[in-house]
Amino acid sequence: MDRMKNRKQIFLVFLVFMISFGSFAQSDLLEILDKEHSDSIRYTSATFKMTRIAIGHSTETRKKGILEVFSANRFWNTGADNSQSFFADKVSARIALEYGLSDRLSFGFGGTTFDGLFDGYLKYKLMRQRSGKNVSPFNITFLQASSYNSNSFRRIYGEATRSSDKRMSFTSQLLISKKFSSKFSVQLAPTFIHRGVVLSNEDPKNHFALGFGARYKLGNHLSLVSEYYYNANKLQSFDTYNPFVLGVNWEQGDVMLQFMLTNTRNMVEDTFITATRNNFNFRNPNLNFGFNATYVIHFKRGLKKKSK
Amino acid sequence: MNRLIFIILFFTLSMRPVENERIITRQGQVSFFSYTSVENIKAENNQVLSIVDLQKGTIAVSMLMNSFIFEKALMKEHFNESYIESDVYPKATFEGNIVDFDPSDKNDQTRMIRGTFTMHGVSKELEIKTKIERKGKNYILSGTFEALVKHYNIKIPPLLAGNIADSISVNFRFEYGPYEK
Repeated sequence: MDRMKNRKQIFLVFLVFMISFGSFAQSDLLEILDKEHSDSIRYTSATFKMTRIAIGHSTETRKKGILEVFSANRFWNTGADNSQSFFADKVSARIALEYGLSDRLSFGFGGTTFDGLFDGYLKYKLMRQRSGKNVSPFNITFLQASSYNSNSFRRIYGEATRSSDKRMSFTSQLLISKKFSSKFSVQLAPTFIHRGVVLSNEDPKNHFALGFGARYKLGNHLSLVSEYYYNANKLQSFDTYNPFVLGVNWEQGDVMLQFMLTNTRNMVEDTFITATRNNFNFRNPNLNFGFNATYVIHFKRGLKKKSK
Repeated sequence: MNRLIFIILFFTLSMRPVENERIITRQGQVSFFSYTSVENIKAENNQVLSIVDLQKGTIAVSMLMNSFIFEKALMKEHFNESYIESDVYPKATFEGNIVDFDPSDKNDQTRMIRGTFTMHGVSKELEIKTKIERKGKNYILSGTFEALVKHYNIKIPPLLAGNIADSISVNFRFEYGPYEK
């Protein structure tokens, strides 16, 4: 009798199992698809939206065939008591064109009015943050920039020399960023700078710096950004400070705007990292208002080419 | 008793659908269009997954939002980061039934597919008129439907309201082959 009872129980369990199995089959179609998805590599997009966080470069590069018309402006007051200007005594502008040669490689060149620098850069995306199969936790981009000081040598050195190697400065940066969540991204930027323009023999020609940058998204189109560069060996002949920025990035389709408060007036890496003469505070000549506007033009339309 | 169990076991097992009654596509195409006087936006996704259980007439569709390709590369970034928020909602899915589907019919049929479409964390009941073509063991499902942007909790900033249509038309075309694990 006992054996019979046992069998009946087994049979019942089996029956229940089969029935429940049948009802599972309803929703398992999506589960099958989920398993198929898990094989695919997922690239993290838009760790930073713009090619700059505020003053310095971000790991982002523009995709192939995109031209960026970039204008950066800094406004500040002089320390003079009898300043008559309405908003700002001085203004500096950098106008630049930046172009994506491929989805990873882009270049740009520009000129700045205030310090007379003409600069150019190459930027290459070495690694993209991705999840799924073949995980990579970081974005890594390499930046090689150089600038040419067009000021007259008499103004710089007080004497005329002809050697042009004193006019060129070079910046190499390894930009490493990580998007921690959809709202929060962080960037570290070990930087090496070789300065051509040397005012005093006690000044180092080569500088090592470390950049810190972060973005926090306030809304879908608005984000709060901040950047700081620590310069390990500073200039000796005059006081310099590390540049700091607090800003807001706002993007509307093809137009991207950046508003910022900063203590640096320069806009090229080798100058704002090594030669920022003001500290970040609210006393008069120190604080600058910065405004960057980027207009994006697509020369390559992805879908049209595909459909050919 | 033993025999009874075996009979039932045999019966239940034979009732279960065999593997090749499911059909799958891994390169399904979904495209959407937004037409306004200011700007036309078009995007395509050619890696949409879909599976159909022919016996039950059920269908599931799943797509990764960041697999959509846009005419303008920057639009893809805006779409993923500022509108569809694909970090938080990476997928859009559909699960439903093909109403009155007859798997034995060898001709083309037009059927309604009724089910739940989930995108950007919002689920909506949809009814989509679908053309079902059959070529031997392969099936092609295609159709089009309209999705209202505001239904899916997608916010468009006032400055760009003129660039993006209120109603987005979505086209799909799935070519299925037999499903093997």
